[in-house]
Amino acid sequence: MDKSTIVCRCEEINVDEIETAMKNGAETFDDIKRLTRCGMGPCQSKTCLNPVREIIAEYTGKPLADIRISRMRMPLKLVRMSALTNGSEGGNVASVFGESVEDGETNDE
Amino acid sequence: MVKRMMNNVFDVIVIGSGVIGSSIAYHLSESKNHEILLIDKDFPLSGTSGSTQAWVWVHSKVPSWYGELSMFSAELYPFLEKKIGDVEYKRTGGIAPFFNKAEREKAWRLVEQQAEVGIDIEVLTRDEVLEKEPSLSSHVAGATFSKLDGNVNPFRLVELYVKAAKRNGVQCSFYNQVIDIEKSGDIFRLETYKGVFRAKKVILAGGPWSKDLGSMLGVEMPVKQVRGQILVTEPLQPFLKYTIGGIRQADNGEVLIGYSKEEVGYDRRSTLDVIQQTAKMATDFVPALAKANVVRTFSGIRVMPKDGFPIIGEIPNMDGAYVAVMHSGITLSPLVGTLMTELLTDGETSIDLTRYSLARFEGV
Repeated sequence: MDKSTIVCRCEEINVDEIETAMKNGAETFDDIKRLTRCGMGPCQSKTCLNPVREIIAEYTGKPLADIRISRMRMPLKLVRMSALTNGSEGGNVASVFGESVEDGETNDE
Repeated sequence: MVKRMMNNVFDVIVIGSGVIGSSIAYHLSESKNHEILLIDKDFPLSGTSGSTQAWVWVHSKVPSWYGELSMFSAELYPFLEKKIGDVEYKRTGGIAPFFNKAEREKAWRLVEQQAEVGIDIEVLTRDEVLEKEPSLSSHVAGATFSKLDGNVNPFRLVELYVKAAKRNGVQCSFYNQVIDIEKSGDIFRLETYKGVFRAKKVILAGGPWSKDLGSMLGVEMPVKQVRGQILVTEPLQPFLKYTIGGIRQADNGEVLIGYSKEEVGYDRRSTLDVIQQTAKMATDFVPALAKANVVRTFSGIRVMPKDGFPIIGEIPNMDGAYVAVMHSGITLSPLVGTLMTELLTDGETSIDLTRYSLARFEGV
């Protein structure tokens, strides 16, 4: 791979940017992700995961099998917001305004 | 300045390289008078500071003395950006909507309280809210609004704090957990995965993990872990102008949504129930979001001191040990870095920190 080869198509991140993140100390896919946005786009690292793991393996001299994958989180593929709102009840979500006007001396739940 | 070789002896060791620890390391390094080590069990942004909407939020922080602290910090952001570089700080103005007319009276009480310290808040009518932010739900009854609020890119912020600190000679040791801390005489001895480090002063800035750090020094850190879950949409045309209590649109078009709180220890999973509640909040606030696609969820463990307010300053009865642990670290980091630098350099601070001392919890 050339330095300018795009590894993350969604966010247009190239090999050079991945290597720069590693020069700054990042050792895992997720740590590289937070510095470069590689893997944060619509495909959620489905395209770039293995190219980046190979770059990490080459850079660190570790076997590919030892390079962790990215942290996967729901919804894994695009889901309409309205599909999630159905049937949601209950109260773990607070109100910013509501909190400000409750007695400000305490903040316990 | 002649740089000493890494001999594992420092003036100050900052434990935790999140937004608070990295800000302290950076501000302390500005004078280039201290040998500083910034140490973290993981990598910057792997914890709380990398899993936040990163509001720089002031106006609804009560009581007013806490609002004032937040305001002072928010006001430092434009200058901080001149020093460390573009952290995408935007003073968008902040809207905290309410959906019940009866809350208007409470909103006016907030205005009165915060006016005491110079926080300027407007109470908006339904029409005024919708004029400012037309995408908000027509069910809104009103909102409080302040020009002081905004947001920042937390990834850029922490990365640039660390880079600036390194340029000033701060040494960093990442992926390196502190296993034990001992004090003998005036010197702290830190045993870590990557060897032993010594320092005259040690600062605990481990956020939710400060509990573990405290116990190494025999200090019961009065903090709770609170999980917050957030939804991220696909990039959308810019349509939200303000930071809304619960929702903001990033520069790249993604909308971040969430204001959940759960006490589940260090469990960082995303859970469908809270994600559904958050989606409901999204569409209750901004109905058009029903048609947006969700790309990702994330979750972070926030630290919440037991009374809700920051813990900043010396650890009582332990010379040379300091703590800086708080919720709202993004908002407060420029000020906390500045104050901790004053405290370590001069022994006193330009803002009285007595109220924020760990000592307030003793005997509780």
